[in-house]
Amino acid sequence: MSTAAAHGVHADAHEHHHESFIRKYIFSTDHKMISRQFLITGIVMGVIGMVMSILFRLQLAWPDQKFAILEMLLGRWAKGGVLDANFYMALVTIHGTIMVFYVLTAGLSGTFSNLLIPLQCGARDMASPFMNMLSYWFFFLSSVVLCWSFFVETGPASAGWTVYPPLSALEKAMPGSGFGMTLWLAAIALFIVSSLLGGINYISTVLNMRTKGMSMNRLPLTIWAFFFTAILGLLSFPVLLGAALFLIFDRSFGTSFYLSDIWLNGVGALENVGGSPILYQHLFWFLGHPEVYIILMPALGITSEVIATNARKPIFGYTAMVISLMGISVLSFIVWGHHMFITGMNPFLGSVFMFLTLVIAVPSAVKVFNYLTTLWRGNIQFTPAMLFAIGLVSFFISGGLTGIYLGNAALDINLHDSYFVVAHFHLVMGSAAIFGMFSGIYHWFPKMFGRMLNNTLGYFHFWLTFIAAYLVFFPMHFMGLAGVPRRYYAFSVIPEFNVWLEVNQLITVAAILAGFAQVLFLWNFFYSIFRGKKSTENPWKANTLEWSTPVEHIHGNWPGEIPTVYRGPYEYSREDREEDYYPQYIPGEDEGHGHGAPKTKTAPVHTEDAPAATGGNVLFSALKKVFGFSPR
Amino acid sequence: MKKMKFGWSGAKLLLLATLLLTATLTPISVFAQADPASDVIPAPKEFSLSTADLVYYAYWVLAALVLLVIVYIFNIGAASEKLTGRTVINWTKVNAWLAIIVLVAGGAGVAYELVYHGKHLLPEAASKHGDSIDNMFNWTFGFTFAVFVITEVLLFWFLFKYRNKEGRKAAYFFHNNQLEVIWTIVPAIVLTFLVLRGYSTWHAITQTPEPKAKQIEVFGYQFGWKARYAGDDNKFGEANFNFIDPATNELGLAIKPTVIALRDTLMADTHRLGNDLRNLSAILKKKAEDLSKMSLAADGKAYTDLMQELEDIRNGNKASELRKMMKRKGVQIQRINASLGNRDMFNEAANDDKITTEIHLIKDQPYTFRYRARDVIHSAYMPHFRSQMNVVPGMMTSFTFTPTKTTKQMQDELKNPEFQFYLFCAKICGSAHYNMKIKIVVESESEYNAWIEKQKRVIEPVQPEAPAAPATGTDTTATPKTAKNNNARPSLAMGN
Repeated sequence: MSTAAAHGVHADAHEHHHESFIRKYIFSTDHKMISRQFLITGIVMGVIGMVMSILFRLQLAWPDQKFAILEMLLGRWAKGGVLDANFYMALVTIHGTIMVFYVLTAGLSGTFSNLLIPLQCGARDMASPFMNMLSYWFFFLSSVVLCWSFFVETGPASAGWTVYPPLSALEKAMPGSGFGMTLWLAAIALFIVSSLLGGINYISTVLNMRTKGMSMNRLPLTIWAFFFTAILGLLSFPVLLGAALFLIFDRSFGTSFYLSDIWLNGVGALENVGGSPILYQHLFWFLGHPEVYIILMPALGITSEVIATNARKPIFGYTAMVISLMGISVLSFIVWGHHMFITGMNPFLGSVFMFLTLVIAVPSAVKVFNYLTTLWRGNIQFTPAMLFAIGLVSFFISGGLTGIYLGNAALDINLHDSYFVVAHFHLVMGSAAIFGMFSGIYHWFPKMFGRMLNNTLGYFHFWLTFIAAYLVFFPMHFMGLAGVPRRYYAFSVIPEFNVWLEVNQLITVAAILAGFAQVLFLWNFFYSIFRGKKSTENPWKANTLEWSTPVEHIHGNWPGEIPTVYRGPYEYSREDREEDYYPQYIPGEDEGHGHGAPKTKTAPVHTEDAPAATGGNVLFSALKKVFGFSPR
Repeated sequence: MKKMKFGWSGAKLLLLATLLLTATLTPISVFAQADPASDVIPAPKEFSLSTADLVYYAYWVLAALVLLVIVYIFNIGAASEKLTGRTVINWTKVNAWLAIIVLVAGGAGVAYELVYHGKHLLPEAASKHGDSIDNMFNWTFGFTFAVFVITEVLLFWFLFKYRNKEGRKAAYFFHNNQLEVIWTIVPAIVLTFLVLRGYSTWHAITQTPEPKAKQIEVFGYQFGWKARYAGDDNKFGEANFNFIDPATNELGLAIKPTVIALRDTLMADTHRLGNDLRNLSAILKKKAEDLSKMSLAADGKAYTDLMQELEDIRNGNKASELRKMMKRKGVQIQRINASLGNRDMFNEAANDDKITTEIHLIKDQPYTFRYRARDVIHSAYMPHFRSQMNVVPGMMTSFTFTPTKTTKQMQDELKNPEFQFYLFCAKICGSAHYNMKIKIVVESESEYNAWIEKQKRVIEPVQPEAPAAPATGTDTTATPKTAKNNNARPSLAMGN
């Protein structure tokens, strides 16, 4: 708090400071720079993850072909141009790890929480800028450690991104469980530190540092989404850290948390007794399931903002949107068992988890219907950001619906660990979240870099990626239904699976096409950073506070006082106004009919200089307002 | 503006250059390469176009087309914008129509998939509970497919219908309680139905006792499966992971002579390891001499391996490794000794058990598969029986089902004489995960009886005194496992 106040006082002085290169671009404590660092690291990791997916897709489509290029690229991992089976596993594992944690958690939430929370709440910076900087550097270190594991002799971790023990715990169980696995665990531990440092910051900034008039029910839905995401991360990542520590203990110090009754080829009977491999799965999925929403919710928040802005309409059912986000957050903690229906867990538990899991479909359905109604009778601007947001809604529908199959324990018996699962989560949290991220990049690029992205390339990027993503993941449903298991190096072993070879080839070609489309994006992105058209202050005619800041970044965000907020963020196309938008920061007698209209005309919640309430109080009053059970 | 133009032509050049460079660097032969080891390349193969080749061409043609379109758009756009000062391509229109085209094409694609792969939607069910799962599936499919079609059509239709038009203002419409209540309640009702139905299906499959079920033990290991039938006494012999010896007792059954033999071997091993530990300096000397006779150029990897070994001895890694091995074996010996006195465990029930490399089942007979894992988690997946259960070390899991179709019946129904049921691994378990399957044959009772008769008992009754009779090789097709493959009995003295 005091840091922010200090920023406020010295804002003008900061402007004239000359900052050294290192202070400005590397060890920067400015949230805008940190968000750019997160984004660019995320993009680099994303490219690595995508290239990996194309490599193993080649193997799946043409298992008998020799690709000279593979040997050129991978050396001993692809002797004679055929991908090594062990390395295939490593690719699958690291692809999953990178995409889930490094791109869609840090790259998405890290980028946009950092950029938008201070800007949209009206704060000079994060609550603790130094911790924020640490958060990025822990993330960076974690990325480096993970990539380093590719240069280990026995290869990187290869037990699947969920790294279930005993496979991951026993060095002799597979080559990837050697030093590569140790590095994986170290990378994840660093990542968790980064994520916790970030999460604490996001929560305290949202609760304590909003500007005058920015009551909780005037927060843009992006902020609500980041807020719930941060809470989820804060509560679930420590559990994964615990799981990882136990695993480190089992691997290195001879404990038996996850190990019991094992006779390993090449070693013999192990001493460990009394542990349970299922314990790990419980701990892992206690993070793992909230993690899905940690990935998805920021994307949903971004989509809400982008759709409202580009449909030039208030988001439909603001309160319902917030409550559904909250419902999803709470439920996400009590459904982890649906990943474990067939682990031998008591079947009664299975039925409980089935019930809770299917309940999540209700808030998700509400979100989809609200998006559709927001589009209805809108005046839709086809910006690339809008198209990507629509893409997210489409994937969220088609991927979310298959969750109803997998959440049903009886159906899961047959679908578990099959390609149906691969199709499901790649649509609903892979494609949907990455489309949300692209949407955010196209929408806030002017804010991040002061320049515009090329729209035409953006359209090509969208349509190619959208079509290719469906071509890749939609046919996988049918493979899964036919009983094709995931993480298979080749399908030649079961003769029945040979019919899927053509489909696999189609998928691989589509994946290459998708990769090609990302080249367009990368070109557009990096070119526009330096040479793009200069942006104006509010290029999308949006209502939220970030568009009142100058195009050139300054420390402290606003040159003068932080603007006061007068109404909710979605006052688009009001009948009584000539323009079709009504920014939050424009003073006006009329406070708006929509959500965010204050119940009374009294003073705003609190001011920046004199915090009126503690975090707890603010949250409580916000909940009251959201649920409407306030006595007034 | 000028800067922009220069920039984009630079972009075009770069993209084209990348295309050309990659195209030349990646010859067709990358996709269809002859075996480099063979000198003679079969002539017809060179001219045959595989699917891979076609796809390869298609990819480059597509990429080139896309690039051409981009180049075209930028040229025309830039030129005419200069002339008229107006935008040429109305992207709002283009995107709105693309939305409709993609919607129609996507719908056609889904319809095609459903027709073409529709019969694969779920493979033919061959078990009793399989039908109830399929029924549940059909209900879920009905609801979700309807929602899928309605919402996706609305999404893209709205995109088209409400596209930006000059001078139009969007509706200021932000809230409607009635609507929101409706679309909360309706999904809730549908889901309640699905949950209740799902619960009864799940309950019937997993929690309904089947008293007549025959038991078969299925044993998963890296990388394969073994099945165990209880034999004539209908009672499984006890088993323990400490008794496992891949050569003589791969399932770790409680057979006294075999286990005693294993213990004695372990004791001998420990003794030898102890000797090695005491004589490390002598071994070091000998190995150093060996090394001096070798050279990197002549021996390559053997040379570097030996160097590493010497290094390990010098820095104490070897000694600690030996101590660890001795300790581990010591614990195993202790555990074996402790259980040897246990009469309930060594009750000779294992003697008539039958270990097989195929699973044979009688049609319409309920079975409970009891799963045991040797090393890591596996998953026993039988899609045709709609059955999957994880196989977890240290924890017995089970799955009960009734096969309702014989292999022959399935072959006739699918018109595929090659068809076989398989149980395969669905949980990542190592590099040969994809290679882990066991054949299942469903047949009539008489066929089954004939087959089980031929399977060997673990201990043949004719020679009960024979110690440590090999328990493997009960099936003629079984691959012989040799003790050489495992370094359970390592010794530094061996080898060099």
